[in-house]
Amino acid sequence: MGNLLEHVGIEKERVHFSWISSAEATKFVDVVKKITEKVRALGPNKKLKKQYN
Amino acid sequence: MHTYTEKIQNLAKDVLKQGKAEMVIGFKQGTIPMAANPFVAKNENDADNLIWSSTCGLNLANYLPGIKKCEGKIGIIAKGCDSRNIVTHIVENKIDREKLYIIGLPCTGMVDKKQIALLFDDEITQFSEEGNTLIVKSETKEEKINKQEYLRSNCKTCTHRNPVIYDELVSDLVEEQIIEDQFADVKKIEAMSSEEKWDFFDKLTEDCIRCYACRNACPLCYCPTCFVDESGPQWVGKGQNTDDIKTFHYLRAYHCAGRCTDCGACEEACPMDIKVRNFTRKLNKDSLELFNWEAGLDISQRPPLDTYQPDDPDDFIM
Amino acid sequence: MKIIKIDKKEWEQGLDKSRKEYHLFGAVKDKDYYLIQALGDKVYPDMESSDTILSPKSVIFPQTEKMLTANLDEAQDNHHIMERVETDYSPRAVLGIKPYDAKAFKILQLNFDTEEFKDPYFCDAYAATTLVGLAVNNPGQFDFSTSVDTGPFDETDLDVLLIDTGNEYLAKVITDKGENFISKCGFDNQTDEKNALETISKLKKKAEKAIVSTVSHDKLNGKTILELYNAPFWDDIAFSCINCGTCTYVCPTCWCFDIQDETKDKSCIRFRNWDTCMSRLFTEHASGHNPREGKTQRVRQRFMHKLKYFPDKYDQGLMCVGCGRCVKHCPVNIDIREICEQMNS
Ligand code: SF4
Ligand code: SF4
Ligand code: SF4
Ligand code: SF4
Repeated sequence: MGNLLEHVGIEKERVHFSWISSAEATKFVDVVKKITEKVRALGPNKKLKKQYN
Repeated sequence: MHTYTEKIQNLAKDVLKQGKAEMVIGFKQGTIPMAANPFVAKNENDADNLIWSSTCGLNLANYLPGIKKCEGKIGIIAKGCDSRNIVTHIVENKIDREKLYIIGLPCTGMVDKKQIALLFDDEITQFSEEGNTLIVKSETKEEKINKQEYLRSNCKTCTHRNPVIYDELVSDLVEEQIIEDQFADVKKIEAMSSEEKWDFFDKLTEDCIRCYACRNACPLCYCPTCFVDESGPQWVGKGQNTDDIKTFHYLRAYHCAGRCTDCGACEEACPMDIKVRNFTRKLNKDSLELFNWEAGLDISQRPPLDTYQPDDPDDFIM
Repeated sequence: MKIIKIDKKEWEQGLDKSRKEYHLFGAVKDKDYYLIQALGDKVYPDMESSDTILSPKSVIFPQTEKMLTANLDEAQDNHHIMERVETDYSPRAVLGIKPYDAKAFKILQLNFDTEEFKDPYFCDAYAATTLVGLAVNNPGQFDFSTSVDTGPFDETDLDVLLIDTGNEYLAKVITDKGENFISKCGFDNQTDEKNALETISKLKKKAEKAIVSTVSHDKLNGKTILELYNAPFWDDIAFSCINCGTCTYVCPTCWCFDIQDETKDKSCIRFRNWDTCMSRLFTEHASGHNPREGKTQRVRQRFMHKLKYFPDKYDQGLMCVGCGRCVKHCPVNIDIREICEQMNS
């Protein structure tokens, strides 16, 4: 899934996969932190954002 | 006339006469040059209309799920890729092996009609072939060209020209091609930056008219209602919006992951000459690299996306 | 009638002059094929082009066309009221349109512009459009226009007809719209009418003779709808069709559309898209019932509409101008000429 998105030009760092059990609260927090850092570094996404009007 | 034509006609007649199958799906001569029309022969007379040529690029496996009224077996002419899509149909329980009488056709490649048309300023009025030589005429000129140079791009890299499943063969098996680098085209895109990739696919799909010929020509696309046609919820907008158009292409490609045989029917059918295999081929490459899988080779194997192995690659999970 | 001689060397200059008043449209080759496009500055139509894949109908009937907007913000006075979107209907000219493609606009008009109903989007766009046709000197093998009441030199719906005589165009100015366009281009070299008409008539005869493709439909009128509807051949014709609708999208006379609403936050837009009778959804009811459930019914609909229902209803010939696009672009080679012959026999 990630591979094709990357292939068509969505930056790899925007799409993340993880496997977190409902009991793993700290892992969840860690993962979300890491993701936000990475995405913030990329700046706002302009791709696949549909313009309505 | 292609040397296979007479053989196909004779085989089909025999099959129909002996009741080995109730009908035979094949091609008949088109009404315009370089066209072949999918056709079903129901009796021996019909069988005289069956033909073969290097323009029979559509995938006949596409017609199998549509056949509702058939008590006996369905006969079908299958080149390498068609046979792989038949295997995929069987594996996905779309059709019973027992229901089919497969006339396998060792294939020497199909031609790229659009590329041939580009050799001429005016319309092509005649097309014929003698072995490896294609003779193409228009009002103003005649070209004799080497078929191998004008193969469709999927045929150039095909390593399964021989049918993988059959009850009978039209001719002896042909030699398979050895391809150095199967996925050079995909690697070229992989080497681009995200922006370049984005622009590449923008340009690729900009003229898409959403006719869905690519989807409808594909044997894999048999869903009763396609996600693009769904209205509640509506997954994809229906206008000529570039993001909606691309979403269609991305999602269709995902639905073909691990199933696509690279038969080229989608590109063959596209009226706008859009190379939609640029989407599916990435997934074909991944299937091969990650799961050592090529679709439709064996009816006893489950596809990678419907099985779990403890050693499935998982380094994308963080 | 006025006939103007245009030196081909002056053609592009003339077009540039006209741009002050007109948006120009014409055939351009971007990739390996021709499309009708709005011409940007310094872009000129390819007058030598073969048929564009899609017909020029998109100039007045675009594949996706915005119609109405509304805002759903209850704090505003005009909330939940559909308003027509603003579209630019300043003059536009289609350059080098094939005479039979122009004739197709007349057919579209029968649907969009009637005594009782006027589709404002179509009517406004049509009124804004000047059709500058180019006579087809060398018809292709798919062209069967002369069999269906039009032809390579048909003037029916043109404002100007250009005839290519080698180094020059002879411009037959047919309507006031045409007159205005030609004068805005600054083309004013009026030529002797008699001589010019003779040249044109010679070229016309030659072109009509060069048409190789024909179709007969003389007996369709005498057959009843049910006779054709229940004919035994529809299943066989439909077998290979993949219901892609390419034939209807490329066709200059196919006029069906579907209306969609899209809403984001508080703003809503209503637009229409070309639709196709080849699609199962085209006739599917909300209940799930579908009067044209099978492929055969859908394929039959397309040909019955073009070759029987339309002629019966309007008495204006077939709903086909013989451009041959559907024949050429159908991925499985379903050929309207062959089907018409079958229905006619
Ligand atoms: S066949 Fe071509 S034009 Fe039609 S939907 Fe597919 S890519 Fe788009
Ligand atoms: S996606 Fe294209 S190449 Fe792949 S199986 Fe379908 S039609 Fe064939
Ligand atoms: S273009 Fe051909 S295959 Fe597609 S819907 Fe029309 S007749 Fe059927
Ligand atoms: S039906 Fe076919 S030949 Fe006739 S006008 Fe339409 S596209 Fe052209």
